[in-house]
Amino acid sequence: MLYRPKADTIRRRWQNNSHICFFTKPESNLCWVKCTKRIACNKQLHDLQHGQEGMLVWVLFLLCQGVAPALTQDLCQRDAPNGYKVRISLKTALGEDAYEWNQSEMFFFRATMAFAMRRHFQMETYNVDNIILCVQTSRVSFWFVVTSPDNATMLIPKADVEKAVRMARHRINNAFLLSDRTLEFLGIHPTLAAPVNPDTPPWLIVFGVVIGAVCAGIIALLVSSLLQKRRKEKGMTEDGQDEEDMQVKGVENGINLDGTYNRGFTDDDRFTKL
Amino acid sequence: MGKDAARAEWDNPMQFVLACVSYAVGLGNVWRFPYLCQMHGGGGFLIPYMLMLVLLGVPLFYMELAIGQKMRLGSIGAWRAISPYLGGVGLASVVTSMYLCLYYNVINAWSFWYLFHSFQSVLPWAECPVNSNLTGHVEECERATPTQYFFYRETLDISGSIEENGGIHMGQALCLLLAWIIVYLFIVKGVKSTGKVVYFTATFPYLVLIIYLIRGVTLHGAINGVKYMFTPKMEQLANPTTWINAATQVFFSLGLGFGSLIAFASYNQYNNNFEKQAIVVSMVNSSTSIFASIVTFSIYGFKATFNYESCLERVRLLLLNTFDLAEDTISLENVNHWIAELNRTQPEQFASLGGRLETCDLEAELDTAVEGTGLAFIVYSEAIKNMPVSQLWSVLYFIMLLLLGMGSMLGNVIAVITPLSDLKFISHYMSTKTLNGLVCLFCLLLGLGFTTRSGNYWFTMFNDYGATFSLLFIVLIEVITVCYIYGIKRFEKDVKDMLGHRLNWYWKIMLAGVSPILLIALFIFYIVNYIQGGTPTYQAWNKELGKSVVTEYPPYAQAFIGLLLASSVCCIPLTALYTYCKKRNLASGKRERTVSTVSA
Repeated sequence: MLYRPKADTIRRRWQNNSHICFFTKPESNLCWVKCTKRIACNKQLHDLQHGQEGMLVWVLFLLCQGVAPALTQDLCQRDAPNGYKVRISLKTALGEDAYEWNQSEMFFFRATMAFAMRRHFQMETYNVDNIILCVQTSRVSFWFVVTSPDNATMLIPKADVEKAVRMARHRINNAFLLSDRTLEFLGIHPTLAAPVNPDTPPWLIVFGVVIGAVCAGIIALLVSSLLQKRRKEKGMTEDGQDEEDMQVKGVENGINLDGTYNRGFTDDDRFTKL
Repeated sequence: MGKDAARAEWDNPMQFVLACVSYAVGLGNVWRFPYLCQMHGGGGFLIPYMLMLVLLGVPLFYMELAIGQKMRLGSIGAWRAISPYLGGVGLASVVTSMYLCLYYNVINAWSFWYLFHSFQSVLPWAECPVNSNLTGHVEECERATPTQYFFYRETLDISGSIEENGGIHMGQALCLLLAWIIVYLFIVKGVKSTGKVVYFTATFPYLVLIIYLIRGVTLHGAINGVKYMFTPKMEQLANPTTWINAATQVFFSLGLGFGSLIAFASYNQYNNNFEKQAIVVSMVNSSTSIFASIVTFSIYGFKATFNYESCLERVRLLLLNTFDLAEDTISLENVNHWIAELNRTQPEQFASLGGRLETCDLEAELDTAVEGTGLAFIVYSEAIKNMPVSQLWSVLYFIMLLLLGMGSMLGNVIAVITPLSDLKFISHYMSTKTLNGLVCLFCLLLGLGFTTRSGNYWFTMFNDYGATFSLLFIVLIEVITVCYIYGIKRFEKDVKDMLGHRLNWYWKIMLAGVSPILLIALFIFYIVNYIQGGTPTYQAWNKELGKSVVTEYPPYAQAFIGLLLASSVCCIPLTALYTYCKKRNLASGKRERTVSTVSA
């Protein structure tokens, strides 16, 4: 968060660890004070104004031009070691019903991330100001870092942020009506849904049904022909060229099993002479 | 004649025609003909195909039907009757049919597997499965595609090469068992049961094809595929391979030389008009091929368009994410325009994209021609998973494949059973049902070898070598036997006896002249191709790379290939030799007896 100081504050440079604040006169280009919390910034200003810090140094405002932009990038920047890039694809996810991504949505995102951090660490102290966003593009992508609630200059390590996001991923997705694919945290892979393993694979069930039906069919056929044979054997009195008789005697394939074939009555000319 | 007065017969000629149609219209019409069409110039391929059909296919089909109907015996008995020295032709047909029976039903087993797996809310080949720690997908699946992974890993559990054997895949074995039980159910009572079954197996696939045609041509992008297929590239006609492939396709599609047609025709009435039926069945087979290609190509077109648009979408996302532009600046239409634009305006950042930027080409997607099991189980299932209500289309598609496969399987099994049941010593000891059951059981047990982890490689070997070369040889000997050894005059007399009118000049010229010449040319081409091809190779699935690599067969596998070819071809000379020796012994035995009576 950037805090704009009042107009005619004193030109001071206050150095505390890695944190630098600059102020200038209103006529020249204004510099911004880099603070994490409004309270902290006010305190710093108050201290500055009342000269209670021992390490105040006077500095030329020229330095403002060069160093200030780098200043603001300090905690949150592209490829930040403890930051994550977020990419949102609203049109892919929602098509016609896509809402506009504006500052309010950005605020909502920060609130959601604060919620995720609270949930994971079970500390009630995380707030919207702890989430810093930067490098916004029209793709809708941006980087974010999370600072510690106790110390505004200290960033929460990447691994902890990842754990928090993973835990609350489902809630974060639903908050924005998006999915794992359309709300991407680059570097945090979504946990894939566990495969559903039923006790009996479904194909075995269908297989069982089909093979049962086919076996039943075969048994029915065999039993019916067996019964037919028995019935004919019992009731057979007349001899004749009944076709069914022939079948009963097993001449289905055309070979008469009952007698020997008398070759005297055939004409052999269909067989080639040797 | 008393001997065959009680031979089983078809209930009516329609059953015979449907049985022939069901046999001839098989998986080759769906997965080989469209491939050939694509490879050899689209619509232009129909010219060599039709020409070969008229010169080679229909006359040979006619000849086989005539032989079967006249002799009223299976292939062994029929050829022995035509010429005792060449009875081996029938035996060779039976051996080849037996090989076909062994491996063909494995395709039906796969169809069953896919069919049963279609009854799920998400088709299992639609997405990659997650790995054990739920962080990503299984790597083999990431490198290949989900459909390839499902086929090679979950269906086949394929090993890395033909040498690495493994256990039997239980799911496959169960499906193979089911397939053989169904085949047994269809043939258990001989032609009585087969005749009823063919009403269904011959007609239902057409119903499914029509439904698929309607679905296919209404898919987005289907028209690209159909246009691509039918645009004739006439320069392909100058390529001799086109004509050779047309001839082999006609030949194998009609199922000549296996003995199935002879077996089917042997159950006909003596005076059945097979001439008209031969022409009808050939025409139906060819038109089904063309019809099936339209369906295949509309689905190809859909798949190619889908892949092309997915590719464009990925490129669009990549550009949006790298250059952080707003989402609606790049649309699918102006992706290529933006690529040029960004390359011009921000070259360094564009160069950082490096290899991640894919080129999307619709023509290249359409050009990926696939045939065989790869087409049926990988490419088609990939296309189906992208259709709306994909489970329904999947079920319909695999039912169609099953019916086509089962119909052809009926012909194959009957080609083995009919000659066996004609042999007196077999029919004396067991009834038809037992014989049928034993044959099915035997084929099932041997077929389990194709369900092992390296089974697919053996399957490919049988598919490529088991029936191709030997069939050409068998049919060549058949034509020469009928026209020159048996005599075209006697053949003419037989046909006049059966049909009532003389042989047309067309049949005489084709059978005696054109067909043998074409067959000899094909035969020589095959031998030359085989010799020039060097060591035979196969496609082995490499799980690290996630794709198939060309591997040479090991020596014992090559020896096995030689055995496959030799075992069916050698039947002919060996039987001729055996008959010659037997006759000589018989003749010398008679002479001895006459001498002894005279002396006594």
